[in-house]
Order: sequence, then C-alpha cells, then structure tokens
Amino acid sequence: MSDHTEFQEEEFSATFNGKTILRILAQTKAHWPWVLGFLLMITLVSVLDSYFTFLSKRIIDEGIGAGNREVLIGIMKQYALLTIVQAGGVFGFIYLTGILGERVRYDLRKKMFDHLQKLSLAYYNQTPVGWIISRVTSDSDRVAELVTWGLLDITWGVMNILTSAYFMVLINWRLALIVGAIIPVLVVVASWFQKKIIREYREVRKINSKITGAYNENITGVRVTKSLGREKANLEEFGELTGEMYKSGYRAAWLSALFLPIVQFITAIALGSIIWYGGLQIEIGGMTIGGIQAFVSYITFMLFPIQDLARVYAEMQHSVASAERIFSMIDEVPTVVDLPKAKAPKSLQGDIEFDHVDFAYDDEPENPVLSDFNLTVKRGENIALVGPTGGGKSTIVNLVCRFFEPTQGKIKIGGKDYTRYTLHGIQSRIGVVLQTPHLFSGSVRENIRYGRLEATDKEVEEAAKLAGAHHFVSELEKGYDEEVGEGGVLLSVGQKQLVSLARAVLANPEIFVMDEATSSVDTLTEALIQQGMETMMKGRTSFIIAHRLSTIRRADRILVIENGKIVENGSHAELLRKRGHYYRLYTQQFREELSRAQDPFMAKLAEAEPESN
Amino acid sequence: MSVGSGSPTIDLKHIVSESRLRGLWRLLQGYRFAYFVAAISLGLAAASRSTVYLLLAFFVDDVLGTTGFGPQVPLVALGFVGLAVIQGVFTYLSGQLAGKTAESVTQRVRNYIYDHIQRLSFVYHDKTRTGELIQRATSDIDAVRRFFAQEAIGFGRITMLFLANFAALLLINTKLALLSVIVVPITVPLSYFFFKRISDAYESFQEQDALLSSVLQENLSGVRVVKAFARQDYERGKFETENWEKFLRGRKLLLLHSYFWPTSDILTGAQMLFGFYTGAIMTINGIISLGDYLAYAGLLVWIIWPIRNLGRIIVQMSTGLVSFSRVTDVVREEREPLNTGDYLPDEPPKGAIEFKQVSFEYEADAQVLKDVSFACEAGQMVALLGSTGSGKTTLVNLLPRFYDYSEGSIKLDGVELNRYPKHYLRTHIGIVQQEPFLFSRTIRENIRYSVGRDVSDEEVEEAAKAAAVHEVILTFPKGYDTLVGERGVTLSGGQKQRVTLARTLLKNPRILILDDATSSVDTETEAAIRTALGGLMDTRTTFLIAHRIQSVMMADLILVFDEGKVVQQGTHGQLLRQKGIYRDVFDIQTQIEEEVEREVSTVK
Repeated sequence: MSDHTEFQEEEFSATFNGKTILRILAQTKAHWPWVLGFLLMITLVSVLDSYFTFLSKRIIDEGIGAGNREVLIGIMKQYALLTIVQAGGVFGFIYLTGILGERVRYDLRKKMFDHLQKLSLAYYNQTPVGWIISRVTSDSDRVAELVTWGLLDITWGVMNILTSAYFMVLINWRLALIVGAIIPVLVVVASWFQKKIIREYREVRKINSKITGAYNENITGVRVTKSLGREKANLEEFGELTGEMYKSGYRAAWLSALFLPIVQFITAIALGSIIWYGGLQIEIGGMTIGGIQAFVSYITFMLFPIQDLARVYAEMQHSVASAERIFSMIDEVPTVVDLPKAKAPKSLQGDIEFDHVDFAYDDEPENPVLSDFNLTVKRGENIALVGPTGGGKSTIVNLVCRFFEPTQGKIKIGGKDYTRYTLHGIQSRIGVVLQTPHLFSGSVRENIRYGRLEATDKEVEEAAKLAGAHHFVSELEKGYDEEVGEGGVLLSVGQKQLVSLARAVLANPEIFVMDEATSSVDTLTEALIQQGMETMMKGRTSFIIAHRLSTIRRADRILVIENGKIVENGSHAELLRKRGHYYRLYTQQFREELSRAQDPFMAKLAEAEPESN
Repeated sequence: MSVGSGSPTIDLKHIVSESRLRGLWRLLQGYRFAYFVAAISLGLAAASRSTVYLLLAFFVDDVLGTTGFGPQVPLVALGFVGLAVIQGVFTYLSGQLAGKTAESVTQRVRNYIYDHIQRLSFVYHDKTRTGELIQRATSDIDAVRRFFAQEAIGFGRITMLFLANFAALLLINTKLALLSVIVVPITVPLSYFFFKRISDAYESFQEQDALLSSVLQENLSGVRVVKAFARQDYERGKFETENWEKFLRGRKLLLLHSYFWPTSDILTGAQMLFGFYTGAIMTINGIISLGDYLAYAGLLVWIIWPIRNLGRIIVQMSTGLVSFSRVTDVVREEREPLNTGDYLPDEPPKGAIEFKQVSFEYEADAQVLKDVSFACEAGQMVALLGSTGSGKTTLVNLLPRFYDYSEGSIKLDGVELNRYPKHYLRTHIGIVQQEPFLFSRTIRENIRYSVGRDVSDEEVEEAAKAAAVHEVILTFPKGYDTLVGERGVTLSGGQKQRVTLARTLLKNPRILILDDATSSVDTETEAAIRTALGGLMDTRTTFLIAHRIQSVMMADLILVFDEGKVVQQGTHGQLLRQKGIYRDVFDIQTQIEEEVEREVSTVK
C-alpha cells in the first residue's frame, strides 16, 4: 500500500518530458482556432508595443527635430489608429485566452469526473478522496493556466524581445549588440530569482495548510484543551509554526523585493553604456536623439518580457508535474469492467453460487481474504452473515454486488457466470444499504428518489412508508423537503438508515444487501429499521451483515464467517445447539444489546426523540 | 534575523475600533516606524526614477546640445547608473520593510487569534461554526497580510509615483503638466466601477468553485452508493450542471476584464497621444527644449500607469478592510478569565463537594438543572444515572467551571466554587468526555498532552495500563509512536476512549469525572478498566456517568436524574429498597440475564 506521505503535494518531475508536454498541448486541440486566434492577437499587440517606441523616435527625429508639423501630424494619426487596433488586440487576447482557459479547465474536469465514475472501488480504496479532489481542482487549473496564459506570456515575451531587437538593430546595430549582451545576464538572474521565489511560496503554502490544520484542532478540540488547561503549551507550539511561516513569508517578500532592483541595476548599466557610446555616435552622426530615447525605452521595458519568461519557465515544472498526475489518473484502467459480449440480464432471480472463489485485495495480493470459498444461496433465501471484523463478511457482500470480482473461481447467478452480464444490469437490480449510509446534500425526497429517478412524489412517500421512514420524516419541519445537509449530517445515524432503506425500497431490487449499523440507535428507530428490513427481505434473496439479534433470528440461514471461511452454517436454534462459535458470540455480544434495548432510559429517549426534532 | 514580534501573546484587544483604519493603525504598533520608512523609500525611489528623465533632458540639452561630446558624457552615464542604484536601494528597502511589517503583524494576529480561540468561553464555542471561525483565522488574516504587504503599499507607490512624476512635469512646464492629467477624472472612477464589478464576479465565481468542489467531494465519498444504484449518468449530469455554471461564471469574469483593459488602453492612449502632440508642438514652437520633450515623453508613461491602477487598488483595499472587520469580530468577544478568583490554595483540593439548590440554564427560560442538592466527602464515588438529556453532563461541566451556575451554591472543600480561579480547578479536575477527542499526533504525545512537564515513557505506559489500552497500543506496528488518524490504523471508539482516559489519569487529578467514558467498550474491557482504576479511585473523588446498574453499584452515592432533577439519591442498597426508577432498571436488567440463560438452555 502506498504510504500516505506520497500523496503530499511535493513530488514533481525534474526533467521535462516531451511526451507529457505534447499531451498537455493536445488538451487544446478541440479548440485550435481559439489558440491560433490568441497567438495572433498577442503577436499583434507585442509587435505594436515595440513599434510605438519606434514611432516615438520618429516623432522626435522627423517631427520635432526637423520641425516638420506635417510629418508630425502624419505620425500622430498613425499612432492613434494603431492605438485603437492595439486595444482591439488586447480585447481579443484577453477574451480568447481567458475563455479558452476556462474551457480547458471545464474539459479537464469533465474528462476526469467521467473517468472517475468508471473506476472501480479498488481504486477508491487505495486513493484518498483529498488526493483526487486536488487533481480535479488545482492540478487542472495549473495545466489550463500553462496552455493559455503561460503560452500567451511566452509568445508575448519572445515576440517582444524579437521585435525590440529588430527595431534596435534598425536604429543602430552597434548599440543593439551592447543591449544584446545583457539579455543573457538578465535571463539567468531572472530565472534564478523566480525559481527561488516560487520555492518560497510553495513553502509558505505548505506551512499555511499546517496552520489551518492547527486552527482546526484548536477549535474542534477546544473542550479538551480547556479541561486539561493546556492553553499555554498549545500557544507555544503554534508560535513555532507561525514563526516558520514568518521566516518563509519574509524570505519570499525579501527575494521579491530584491529581484526588481537587481534587474533594474543591470539595465541601468546598459543604459549608461548607451548614453556613453550613443553620445559618441551622435558626435560622428551615427545616432539621433530620438534614437537614444528609443533605446532608453527599449531597455527599460526589456525587463518585463524577461521576467514573464522566467516566471513561466519556473511554473512550467509544476504544471508538467500536475499534468502527469492528471494523466496518471485518466490512464488508470478500471479493474471491474463489462466483458465485450456482456448482456443486460433479464432478471437476477435465481440461485446465487460462489464456485471455488478466491479473492485478495489489490494492495495485499499475498494476503487473500477468501480462498476456495463455496456457497449456494437459494432464490429468495435470507442470509445473515456474522463474525468478527476483518473476517470477510464485507468482501462476500462486495463480490455479490460486483464491486469487486473474484480473483479465481466464479460467481454464478441463476447458473450463469455473472461477468457475462453488464455491470449496470447487475447493480441496478441490487439494493444496498450501507452501515454508515451516505446521503447526498439535498432534501429527504431527493435522497429517496435516488433509488428510482423517475419516481413520483407519491411513490417516494409510499416507499418511505414501507421502509418505516415516513413517521420521522413527517415530524420534520419541512417534511420531505427538509434538507439533510452534506453527507446527511443533519440526520441521526438511524434516520439516515431509514432514508437509505426507503431509497432501496423505491429501487425495488431483486437482491437486497445490507450492512447493519453497529452503533446504538434508539429503540423506536431501531424498531422502524427492523420493519423496513422485513419489507425488503420478503421474497428477495438477501445478504445481511448482521449485528442485531432480531435480524439474525429472522434470517433463514446464519453464516458465521471467520478468516474467510464459513465456520458455522444453519438456523439460530441449530447453531445455539452446537455450542460453538455462534453460541459464544450470542451469549457474549448479544446479551449486551438486549440489556441496552430494554433499558428504560433508552426507551425514554426514544419517546422524547420525535418532540426534539 | 530576529523572528517577528518578541512576545507572541501581545494583547490586541485595542485593535477593535469604530474606524477600521484606526484599528489597522493600532495593529501596526511596533512597526509603524518601519512601515513609515517603507513609505518614504517608495517616495525616494519614485523621485529618483523621475530624476532619470530630468537627467536625460539635461544630457540632450546641455551636454549634446551645447558642448558636444566631452568629459561630461561619462559623468552623465555614471549618473544614470547612480540613479538606478538609488532607486534600487529604496525600492528594495520599501519592499523589504513592508514585507517584514506585514509578516510580523500577521504572525502576531495569528498567534493572538489562536490563543483567543482557546480562551473563549464554552458558550461562544457552542454557538460558533468551526468552518466559519477557521475562515476568519486563515483567509481573512491572510487578506489583512496582503493589505499591508501589497495593497496599502501599492496605494502608496501609486500616490508617490504620481506625485513625483507630476512634480517633475511641473518643473518642465506647468501647462503641459496639467494637460497630462486631464484623463484622471475619467479613468479613476472608470476603473473603480469596473473593479467593483470584477470583484463581485470573482466572488460569485469562487462560490461556484466551492459548490463544484462539494459536489465532487460528495460524489467521491458516496461512490459506493453511486455504484450500488448504478447512478453514474445521473452523477455526471449533476457535475456537468455545476461544471458548466462555473465555466459561465468564469467567462463572465473574463468578459469584464476584456472590456476593461482595452477601454482603459484607449483612454490612456488618447491621453498619451494628446500629450505627445502638445509637447511636440510646444517644442517646435520653442516653448520647451528638445531635452524637455524627451523627459516629458518618458515621464508621461509613468504618470499614466498609476492613474490606471488606482481604481483596482482601491477595490482590493476595500476587500482587505472587510476581512479585517471579520477578524476584529472575533477579537471583540470576551475571553474567559482563567486566573481571577480570590481563593487560591497552595495545596490541591481534598475533594469534598456540596451542591445546594443548584439550577442552571444555557438559554433563558430553559432550565437544564433544577434545584439540585447533594453532598459527598473527599475520596467518595458519585454515580449519575439517567436518560440522555436529563442533565448529567451539565452537572459535571459545572465543576471545572466550563459553565457558571446561575442559582444556588456549589462548595468545594467548603469554599464557594466560583471563588476558585478556573485554572486551579481545571488543573485538579480531570474529565473524560463522552466523545473522545484525540489530536493528530502520536499516541504517546496524545497521552502526554495533559501535563506541561517532561514525562518519561514509563509514566505514559503506566497511565495506558491503568486505562487498559497498553496491550492494544502494542499491537500497532509503530506502538506508541502511531500517528492518530494515520492511514491503515484506525482506533475504534472504545480505544479512543481509553487513550483519553490514560491522558486524564496521567494528569493525576484530585477529582475525576468519567462522563460515560466506558460507553463504547465491551463488558470485559470495562471490568479490566475498573480493576486498574480501582486503586486510583479510592483516593480521589470520582464522578461517574453510566447506563448500567453494574457500573454504578459500588458508588458511595448514586444520583438518579430525570428532566434536570435528582429524583432519587442514595447507595445501591438504599435505592433498591425504595420504589422508583432505580429499582425498575435493576429489575429489567436482572430479567434480561435470566432470559438469556433461559433461551440458551431451552434450545438444548
């Protein structure tokens, strides 16, 4: 299994991988006219930028110097016209680049999300949700940024330097050579600084997330802190963290503050040389005053394209790393997929048979959960699975749902290997209620309707009644329109189970699978859940990972699972008689539950519950 | 390098002020001089930049124009380099000082808020949402940092650049100078107008971004449900809706930008052109010299740049101010005084406790405790029995003064409880809460967490043994160095409870409160804990909240709670002899035992 440190944001490749870069560029393929458009626009803007300086020189030399008003007005007209053209260019590139950027982000997110829906549970078991989220959010941003604004900045920078160089050579090639000599120096200095600065900011971000974590614990754990009187020590620890933050933040600010003056100093040396040498040239007639002015401008503004290029270059490494992570996710192959000739089953009613099934999770192939597992469940039979955690109960259920497939052996439904059916065909016919039921934010109604999207309001309520959820839902202030909050936080565990039971009832599945909650639920809700389960189990093949006595008693057959094996198999009475594993489980664990269920305090709570809601 | 502020606990209460700007000014305390120097440096840097153009004018008019190439040329060249050095030094100085100020001030605020949060009362925390508070402590504080590091200083830079360049223009020609800024009344409001909208659009874009993330988050954490119902297409549709909406909002934001910049370009372009033309004509007419024109053309660019950015900076500053008031909202809340109280014994308390007609309410007119009276001697064990919400937890929360009782009297060792400083009480009262809370550090550090001194590993293990969790910890691959919350290792609810118990035991409190502390452990473990605790509980007053009769039987005093009132009290023996809830519970629990026995024997 991958260590969790691997999922931190630090890894990025040191070398540029040509293939990755091509693949990054390919993200814009569908929108190539936009790319072409913004490249043209930025080229136009960039050329005009340099040309304006050249026009200023002409104003000085040909207009003012020569005292020629007509030429002056001519140049001014040209200047005015080009200003409007340039404004058009600016509009064009902001519009095209910006919107293309949003579009590429949109495309990437869509692509990733679609792929995520296809990936199997095995992937989700090994990959933390936070990791996936930052791929879809921040990494896609960074890649989109590179192919739009990054590309734009590069084009602008290169074009700007080239056209400036062209005009400088045009004015005076000797002076242009002097300027040419400082460009490499500028480039080196600028990229050194940008790299350092970016590294500091990255450090700042890292510490920042630590600080956020510290605040989070400070707030959520405030009651503990107070009862232990640990305020002082906490503050000292936090002070160290903010001290680190100060150091990094200050260093980043300091480097940024140093960068500009140094670059300006280098350009000033160039400027001095121009004045010195240019002054000499004027003497011998090789240089005009306007020419000197133009050089001064070119040198002063030379800084910006170089700074941009250095920044993009430094960012590029991270963008490429982001892209690699995105691609690795998109390239991930789902482990459970439809076989080429898979068909949708007409029905899943029939016997279910585990035929010499082996199974191991991907991350621990040497440690199989099931080996040579055999089991036949008759159509309509209710199976209760009991046994210690990690014994393989969940795995059996996951295999039935085909969240995973056997590594060896076959699972047959109605006598046919179930991999010959489509995934959608199987999963849409199995109803699942999880131990900690997941609800989506939205109303109770929307959550129940998730079971069958086209169900009418009446059908939703019907299902809720059958599942025993109607009672508590109608007590809610807004009834079925009550919001459940993100993940269903506004409901209790018991209520969530009732809603998810109703959801399963509405789906009207052919096979029912449930993982009972271990945590205590008040007596009334518990009774309702039992009622709902009964509805679901009637006439349906069902697998229940059971923790409650009443569930186990109701089952047609109880399987005691330990270490991936069925160690006992039979009805409640049969198994008790054996005085084996089941007997021990029953007397130790269930005695406790019984005493809780009949505790008058708990019963009182159950009565009080509807009022408090 | 000295790290930030000297004392991390400097009091910032005074930054709460009617005027936000005054509050920010107070926040600057200790760094005002540095920040002032930063501002002055900006001015000097701007002035030296303007001087470059004046030197250019001098060079063209007085060096080239008159004497021709001479010894002055290298001097002028050196002058350019010299001015660049001056400009560089001051630019650096202002950046460095502003950075230092911003970072130091922020560090101070961060520390203060952190401390403030842990010193605010339970009442405050009960009604405040975690996410909300975190946002104020992180992104709002960061906005305040940006205010000092970028926005206020940016505003200063713009002002200085404008002033310095305008002054230089005035030196050249007054009329020309005035004609160069006629666009100001248009551009500044225009850019303010746009940036107001841009920042609104940005906010709505960010909102959608958050929404999209939560849709994604929900999909990922509910992936089993999605798969179980084969709802992939439905989920795609849901994501698509929000994803597309984000695209639309992003596009709207971009559109605003793409309207603003060219508009502003045309306006400033017109101003520039107008300036060039007027300047050129004045030069041709001999009103100003060629050198003056050159300087003017250079300065013009630098006077237009600040005009263009002023609106943007103002809008950014206003968001910084909003964040600052969100921070001061937290600072405004009163801290819970930990050290006030007129009775501070040198010795730990003995632990005799007396409640006399104590009532308590969290909110007006909703009494949670009504008229509670009982007394226990030092070293005794008091058990509290009752349904959830009957007031048991509230009662024990009064002892460390997490909340203060409204009526009646509580005496510890014969002295009224609210005369003791809270810190004293909390040092000597150990409470194991119902919901175990562990920090994301190692198990060892979590146990050590309770004491402010160095603790040997033996002591930690001793405490863990007393809480019957030592053996469990040893089964983890990294033992006591296991990080809580680390992938692959999950502590069950019962294990967490026992770690928090060990943490409290290490503190060696005189009064021990176990608030349903063994609810998630099985009977066997509970018995193990009880045996281990046995000796410890003999010598200290213990409050025990429990559900099972077996757990409370041994208590010296059992309080039976119902709706905030103590309806029965006495020892197990006394209560069994009375008619009431206690006996009912006892009867039911014994019945169950018999039932289990009967069922097992009948299936034979």
